[in-house]
Amino acid sequence: MNSIIPQLIVNSIIAGSIYSLVALGFNLIFGTTKFFNINHGVIATIAGYTVFSLSKNHGMDIWLAIIIAVIFTGFVGYLSEKFVFLKMREKRASGMVMLVASLGLFTALQAIIAIIFTSQFQTISTNFGESKVYNIFGGIITETQLIILAAAILITLVLGLSMKYTKFGKAVKAISDDVEVAKIVGINANKIIAKVFFIGSMIAGVAGIAIGFDTGIEPTMGMNLLLKGVIASIIGGVGNVYGGVLGAFFLGFVENFGIWKISGEWKDAIAFGVLILFLIFKPGGIMGKKG
Amino acid sequence: MKENENLLRLEDIHVHYGGVKALDGATVYLNDGEILALMGPNGAGKSTILKALFGIAPVTRGEIYYYGERIYPVPHEIVERGISFVPQGRQIFKSLTVLENLEMGGFSINSRAVLKSNIEAVLDLFPDLRKKLKVPAKNLSGGQQQMVAIARGLVTTPKVLLLDEPSLGLSPKVVKEVFAKIKEINQKHGTSIMIVEHNLQSVLEIVDRAYLLDKGQVVENNTPQHIISSGLLEKVFLAHK
Ligand SMILES: Nc1ncnc2c1ncn2[C@@H]1O[C@H](COP(=O)(O)OP(=O)(O)OP(=O)(O)O)[C@@H](O)[C@H]1O
Ligand SMILES: [Mg+2]
Repeated sequence: MNSIIPQLIVNSIIAGSIYSLVALGFNLIFGTTKFFNINHGVIATIAGYTVFSLSKNHGMDIWLAIIIAVIFTGFVGYLSEKFVFLKMREKRASGMVMLVASLGLFTALQAIIAIIFTSQFQTISTNFGESKVYNIFGGIITETQLIILAAAILITLVLGLSMKYTKFGKAVKAISDDVEVAKIVGINANKIIAKVFFIGSMIAGVAGIAIGFDTGIEPTMGMNLLLKGVIASIIGGVGNVYGGVLGAFFLGFVENFGIWKISGEWKDAIAFGVLILFLIFKPGGIMGKKG
Repeated sequence: MKENENLLRLEDIHVHYGGVKALDGATVYLNDGEILALMGPNGAGKSTILKALFGIAPVTRGEIYYYGERIYPVPHEIVERGISFVPQGRQIFKSLTVLENLEMGGFSINSRAVLKSNIEAVLDLFPDLRKKLKVPAKNLSGGQQQMVAIARGLVTTPKVLLLDEPSLGLSPKVVKEVFAKIKEINQKHGTSIMIVEHNLQSVLEIVDRAYLLDKGQVVENNTPQHIISSGLLEKVFLAHK
């Protein structure tokens, strides 16, 4: 008899990979700026649509399209910081005001995507050669999914190592600890934060593209994706690179095993249920300090 | 004294936080090689003077001169100009180790070799930190954290050092050590030092000149001996009790 468990494991791992990519960028930006950047969700959407447009509408080589899309979304994130969030921080806007501005930007960009590409659900997987399929202990994993998993692992490792060993990474931690003191010791905090937006948005872009290949894209996909990344961050421990990744895989597993015997529509309810349980019983997250 | 004779000069500085006048037309200068104290009761505006110089207080009016040249402070540029600030309250980077804290103190230094030798020099001044380099700064005692904060401010070998209540919360023995270090830094490297201090006795022993601030204004600028014998200290501090 063929067990469904290996397939559930595969699905959980892929979901975890995608959530962890969103959580990584969200955590970086939240750590340095201390505001809830909703706009981060639509950044992922933009990447998905950029690949869709370049490869399907303009016939560009898929890998080239991916590279351009990732850099382009990094740039969109950078511009959002430079022309919106930085200006607001300079005027000492509160976290709540920043959140509302971010929601506004999110809504506007999402509307623009819907206007250009219509609200229809689109897939971008078809151009990816003939997708090979592997069978791992009875679970089916496609070549695309393997690439997604590898990308998530690679990005996590590179980011984790750069945070620990590079001057940039240490400066990011210093800013996350206390931005005022970071400025006092001579760190050009705004420059570092701009880079954080660029890098964090590129990583979110990879997540958006991964979804595009794995299932498909629609203009409104950003919010759900963002919330999954945020839930992953919170249950993993906000502000910790590996915590967010751990939380993402935990969430992926709970979601996919949660719908083992029930309808898939329950996925989001399960995700938020887990979030609430964590907020009540372990608000600091798995890797975090105590509440 | 003429404007361009001072190493550093803050002229008629006004800082408002909402309705609070943290500084109300204060003028403070620092001469080359001098150790200067800023004294005054809580809320007098002492920290705000240092913050204004670093571009992290909302200055509504006033000018700042460095080597006689007007400057418009941006924190990282001030550090690059050779001014270091050790803020109030042992503000170390908690998620970094002691060594990483010192490295961040030298963020503006681009040469790895220079950074390394500067950190070595600072560790010679604070040898106790040598054994703690790999320890997360949050695990140090309060006194050790204060040492890290001061050491971090010295990594750039600054021309001017600003210290905000370096002795706060330290035991008398450590306070003595810290002030001895401050004097040593001043004499060995010719560093000009501006120090905010509540601990009047210990600070008056090492400073050349002192300001007394109250309600955002300078009420006295004189030698420590004069300030002690004038009875102004008691007057200003007791008025707040
Ligand atoms: N960020 C801020 N927001 C609002 N008010 C502030 C802020 N910083 C300082 N103030 C106010 O400005 C005034 C001067 O503060 P400052 O920190 O310069 O005092 P201080 O002389 O350093 O006092 P202390 O000895 O307690 O450190 C105080 O009334 C304080 O409440
Ligand atoms: Mg103060």
